[in-house]
Amino acid sequence: MTEQRSLVCLENIHKRFGELHVLKGIDLDIDAGGVVVLIGPSGSGKSTLLRTINLLEEPTEGRVIFDGVEITDIRADVNRVRTEIGIVFQQFNLFPHKTVLGNITLALRKVLKLSEAESVERAQQELKHVGLEHKDDAYPGQLSGGQQQRVAIARALAMRPKLMLFDEVTSALDPELVKEVLDTMKHLADEGMTMVVVTHEMGFAREVGSRLLVMDDGRIVEDGVPREVFENPEQERTKSFLEHVL
Amino acid sequence: MRSRTDRLNKWFAEQTALSLGIAALGAVALAIGLVGTLAFLWSEGLTPSTELVETAVSQTQGAILWTSIALGAAALSGFVLYKRAPTKAAREATISGAALGVQAILFSLAFLVFRTGEKFPIFVRQFFSFEVLSEFRNQFVTGAKNTVILAAGGEAVGIVLGLIFSLLILSSRRVVRAPARAYINLFRGTPLLVQIMVGYFGIVLGLGLDITGSIVVIVILGLNAGAYTAEVFRAGIQSLERGQMEAARSLGMSYGKAMRYVVLPQAIRRVIPPLTNEFVILIKDTSLVFVIGLTFQQRELLAVGRDAFAETFNSTPFMAAAALYLVVTLPMIRLVTYLENRLRSGLVGVAA
Repeated sequence: MTEQRSLVCLENIHKRFGELHVLKGIDLDIDAGGVVVLIGPSGSGKSTLLRTINLLEEPTEGRVIFDGVEITDIRADVNRVRTEIGIVFQQFNLFPHKTVLGNITLALRKVLKLSEAESVERAQQELKHVGLEHKDDAYPGQLSGGQQQRVAIARALAMRPKLMLFDEVTSALDPELVKEVLDTMKHLADEGMTMVVVTHEMGFAREVGSRLLVMDDGRIVEDGVPREVFENPEQERTKSFLEHVL
Repeated sequence: MRSRTDRLNKWFAEQTALSLGIAALGAVALAIGLVGTLAFLWSEGLTPSTELVETAVSQTQGAILWTSIALGAAALSGFVLYKRAPTKAAREATISGAALGVQAILFSLAFLVFRTGEKFPIFVRQFFSFEVLSEFRNQFVTGAKNTVILAAGGEAVGIVLGLIFSLLILSSRRVVRAPARAYINLFRGTPLLVQIMVGYFGIVLGLGLDITGSIVVIVILGLNAGAYTAEVFRAGIQSLERGQMEAARSLGMSYGKAMRYVVLPQAIRRVIPPLTNEFVILIKDTSLVFVIGLTFQQRELLAVGRDAFAETFNSTPFMAAAALYLVVTLPMIRLVTYLENRLRSGLVGVAA
């Protein structure tokens, strides 16, 4: 029943926080390549859905299959699977006690067991990738929000993931810093990285997204090509949501 | 350094002759009262105590105190002029001078009256018989050394236990949490004195175990400190943003690796000031172990002081013990303040 072609399969995902029923039966297949953009009103469950893909939130019910492996299976090696799924957070979550280089090399050395030289080389490569090759000695506290977020992207990329998750990565940024992060993401999409992006940036969704999902009240209510969904939403509430954000 | 001299120069530039005069008057008044008195007593000889009493009640000492009072009163009266000071710095200097003047008056007046008391000679003999101390000098040095050894040993045990138990009480599993919580509650909820007595008299002596007293003490102090330290570490770990653990886990680190490489290094930095504070308390808590009667060479400060008191019926050894505790604890207290300021200034642990 697992379709080998899909990179991620979510089957009937439910998530409850006590009384709160956040995800109400999500079925979703995500193919390799392409940028899936997830939008919806706050509280609709989009961040929770994103975080179930790498099991930062364990679903109360349902199965998550990544690259053919059921990771909700109790025997699955979740730590290994997570090395193949990069995630970037709204609050950056860089390690403040480590330099930029240290932030990137930590997991390379301790998880992937790369040598010091290899990790540094790979870290510098990824810093160049996000345009921060001269900041390797800096501490996160010395960088702007936009730079910190790009370091966080580089940190995730250095693991060479098959999938990148972005959880409202520009929401905590000052307006003038949003563009540099979006540009980095666009660049990444152009290189063919598979991405799932929770965002409020509708311009990005329309321009870069290859598939648009609209969530409402724990369910996916729209699924289609961004331009079509924007212009011709199937649901009335999607229409009103889009009118509010566009 | 440069900015400090700059600030000093600026301060001087804003002063007037009057404000400087009042500040100087207050400072001199207090200096004559305090330093002058001590220097005079010192120069006339601190021992024997009968002579110390004579010096203290002498006319020269009276003259010193009256001088201090007179200068202090002059500084205080300058206070009425403070509104004439043209700058903020000058006003502050006037007020400082007046405050110093008040302190000089209070100290000198108190001493002036106190020395006329009927029991003054007995008081001096009881608390300031420095001749008694010379006899116990080496014992006090050993005592201070032992106090530091007991405190450092207890702290070492306490930090290891505290770290382990802080991780245990943060476990999501109740069966792991419950016994750790029980240990912490037991040692935080009962007096250290009781723990020392149960541990030494009850367990070691009662069961006839052959363990050196100071080792027993280090273990008991360590168990006690461990309970408090566990709570300090727990607070430190919980003060970190949840995102730190999530970021580490999302990079494929196990819970243990995330703790070791990401959470603990930050948490430990944050708890260094409260941990140092715990250590200061532990240093003072070592004084409780005098109850078990350690051997002559193992005695800590208070035991030395108490034995010396028993031998001489003089309280000066207690004063000496108190002074030596201060010698050990004051630098630690300064260190806590320094570390707290450094943490606050954001040199460590600025979260994204």
